[in-house]
Amino acid sequence: MTLAIFTLLIPAVILFVYAWRRGDGSHRRGLARGGQTLLSVLPLLVLAFTTIGFVSVLLPQEGLQNLIGPDSGWKGLLRAQGMGMLMPGGPYVVIPLISTLYQLGTGLGATVALVTSWSSLSLMNALWEASFLGWRFTVIRWTLLLPFPVLVGLLAEALFGGTS
Amino acid sequence: MRDHTTLILGGIVFLLAGAAWLSGGWGLVLAGFMGGVTTLLLVAPLLLCAFLIAGLIQVLLTEEKVTYWLGEGSGWRGIFLACISGALMPGGPYVYYPIAATLLRAGASLGVLVAFVSAKSVWPVVRLPLEFALLGPRLTVARILTTFLVPPLLGFLSQALAGRQVEAIRENLKS
Repeated sequence: MTLAIFTLLIPAVILFVYAWRRGDGSHRRGLARGGQTLLSVLPLLVLAFTTIGFVSVLLPQEGLQNLIGPDSGWKGLLRAQGMGMLMPGGPYVVIPLISTLYQLGTGLGATVALVTSWSSLSLMNALWEASFLGWRFTVIRWTLLLPFPVLVGLLAEALFGGTS
Repeated sequence: MRDHTTLILGGIVFLLAGAAWLSGGWGLVLAGFMGGVTTLLLVAPLLLCAFLIAGLIQVLLTEEKVTYWLGEGSGWRGIFLACISGALMPGGPYVYYPIAATLLRAGASLGVLVAFVSAKSVWPVVRLPLEFALLGPRLTVARILTTFLVPPLLGFLSQALAGRQVEAIRENLKS
């Protein structure tokens, strides 16, 4: 946790100093923008974290681990990809939820597959995309991307899996 | 969009609280609620940093700036620039899809568009602090490294396999 804070503080400070040295008030606008975003998504964050609290007391840990746990193999990765595609909502809702699933014992590969699948293949996003760029574009991009969440999940498990 | 999400999520919380009450009474409801609040308080400093970074990046990188880079090249150079622009592009789908549509009308190739949209979803610089804060360094690093080649690869693949479709896509957009 401390390491994570430092890792995030360093870029924050560098960006802030850079913005401040530009001398055009960017640093203040950046702070204001960050604060505004935080305030506007705060109700969502509180609800997302409450959901997380309930999910972690209600979800049978064993069941989750059987479905997409570290030992669930490529079938687990496929299930993770399917879950990611169906997950609605933006990062402020989905990332907290995925982090809870990860803490409850989702495998590393499955979690990578889940994040990749939600961010690039989510059906909600496909609707947005099709409405702006047309169905033909969405079908091409979506079809080409389809094998990737499982593949990157396998790769992540092979490279970074094991010791936790 | 966001108001709907809040309402739906509120409904989900309500249902989950009901489920907790049914399976373990008020004790379990309280446990679930407190568990969520405790987690939120634990990650609050990380979230503050994440939002600070996101705010600063958004002010330092405007959409116009990123779009300017995006329009700079074609071929592999174009795909490469599209990946960088997608990664740096701030804002949600209601920001970058209209930009992608503008580029399409202006004559961008299919590979450039696919690379741009894929980089936005797979290498999102503005979202990364949040991912890092909540999922931790190991998972974030694993995800970045394993998906590193995906946006350019998809750009090339789509260009090679379906590049000619771009005219039809552009026609559809006009009508």
